Amino acid sequence: MFIPVTLSLLEGMVTTLKLFFLTLLFALPLGLVISFGSMSRFTPLRWLVQTVVWIIRGSPLMIQILIIFYGPGLIFGLPLLPRFTAALVAFAVNYACYFSEIYRGGIQSVPQGQYEAGQVLGMTKTQIFFKITLLQVVKRIVPPMGNEMITLVKDTSLVRVISVYELIWMGETYIKKGLIWPLFYTAVFYLILSGILTILLNQCEKKLDYFK
Amino acid sequence: MSILEVNHIEKHFGPTKVLNDISFSLEAGQALSIIGSSGSGKTTLLRCLNFLERPNGGTIAVNGSVIFDAADPSTQIEKDIREKRLHFGLVFQNFNLFPQYTALQNVTLARELRAKKKGGESREEILQAGLALLEQMGLADRANHYPHQLSGGQQQRVAIARALALHPDILCFDEPTSALDPELTGEVLRVIRSLAEHKTTMIIVTHEMAFARDVADQLIFMDSGVIVEQGDPKEVIDHPKEERTRQFLARYADN
Ligand SMILES: Nc1ncnc2c1ncn2[C@@H]1O[C@H](COP(=O)(O)OP(=O)(O)O)[C@@H](O)[C@H]1O
Ligand SMILES: [Mg+2]
Repeated sequence: MFIPVTLSLLEGMVTTLKLFFLTLLFALPLGLVISFGSMSRFTPLRWLVQTVVWIIRGSPLMIQILIIFYGPGLIFGLPLLPRFTAALVAFAVNYACYFSEIYRGGIQSVPQGQYEAGQVLGMTKTQIFFKITLLQVVKRIVPPMGNEMITLVKDTSLVRVISVYELIWMGETYIKKGLIWPLFYTAVFYLILSGILTILLNQCEKKLDYFK
Repeated sequence: MSILEVNHIEKHFGPTKVLNDISFSLEAGQALSIIGSSGSGKTTLLRCLNFLERPNGGTIAVNGSVIFDAADPSTQIEKDIREKRLHFGLVFQNFNLFPQYTALQNVTLARELRAKKKGGESREEILQAGLALLEQMGLADRANHYPHQLSGGQQQRVAIARALALHPDILCFDEPTSALDPELTGEVLRVIRSLAEHKTTMIIVTHEMAFARDVADQLIFMDSGVIVEQGDPKEVIDHPKEERTRQFLARYADN
């Protein structure tokens, strides 16, 4: 039984991994755009972006998944999005909002004096961003980003509310067949994934340890 | 002809006037010291010279040509301002070294970026020049240290080397020793003194009265955004003419 169970769980794992990586792919850049919006000097834009971020961070991701999957049909009579696509949209937007706050914290924590020192040396804004502030921002955001990514690994299990066949869903199918252990066994897969992630992130942090 | 002529500079933040009709000139190879109590506008004045703030009124001329005129927008184009900044160097109170770069990289970064854009010097030349500057600051053996591995006095000397690397016409210091432990001020003041001996044109905002009296060729006392008194440093410090100067100096004598 062990090998067939493992294989079918791996199948669920592929969906989980796909969701994980695609969420990062979209949420990392989108988060940066949102963070610029939330720091905009144009007040209406700043308020709008900050309100959206508040709503999305302040409400359960599970509800957001349900809204994006059923909402367009219920409200506008539109056809449903494919399940995985709906899940991905909800995740990308939700995580982009979390990431945007991390970016914002990172960017705002670079002292004004760093920009000014660059300016006084005749550097352009672009040079200052790429040569001076970027690495300092990266150093500051790696630890909180790491936390979010590990949360994301586990959050992927939420998509089973719209019947996306991810890891836990696959584990649950065995309960109907009278097997309970495959469900608990799924935890091992999450642990391995977050374990790998932790190691990678630690290496990242170590690499940036040479300056303060 | 003066290397620097500042005429009728005004600066306000909202309704508060921080600089009011500031005029002075500086000859090449001379050191000007600016003293004054905290909040009198000294930092703002240096920031105006380095275009970190835009004056609301007045003109700034370097080597006889007006590089900034508050009344003439054609002197305020961002791209040109970036070049005009290079007439001035600025050493900050709290160093503002780039933490991810070594002492040497801090000194060479801006010059390398310029060489990459405009051609000219080779990397090797820039490195050699950077090393020579660090050596001049007594930091030859610290070239490959990162800022957090250096003492405050060493960091400030790296910052001075960094400012000198671009050969500014006028080097400005904003209280270069105020952020330092007392036992570290000496090494930084020694470096500035030797720059003065080598006829570097400088503006030094400082609270080190003895140093200003000794090293500067000219002294300005500022209060509430205006120049109250200016002249020969020994003259002003030993025989102040204005009541406000007297009071300020008396407070310093007490401390
Ligand atoms: N960006 C700013 N916005 C508003 N007020 C400022 C700003 N920068 C400086 N000031 C004010 O200008 C005055 C002069 O400040 P500053 O030039 O730093 O004086 P000093 O360097 O002589 O201590 C102070 O009252 C200060 O509060
Ligand atoms: Mg000041």
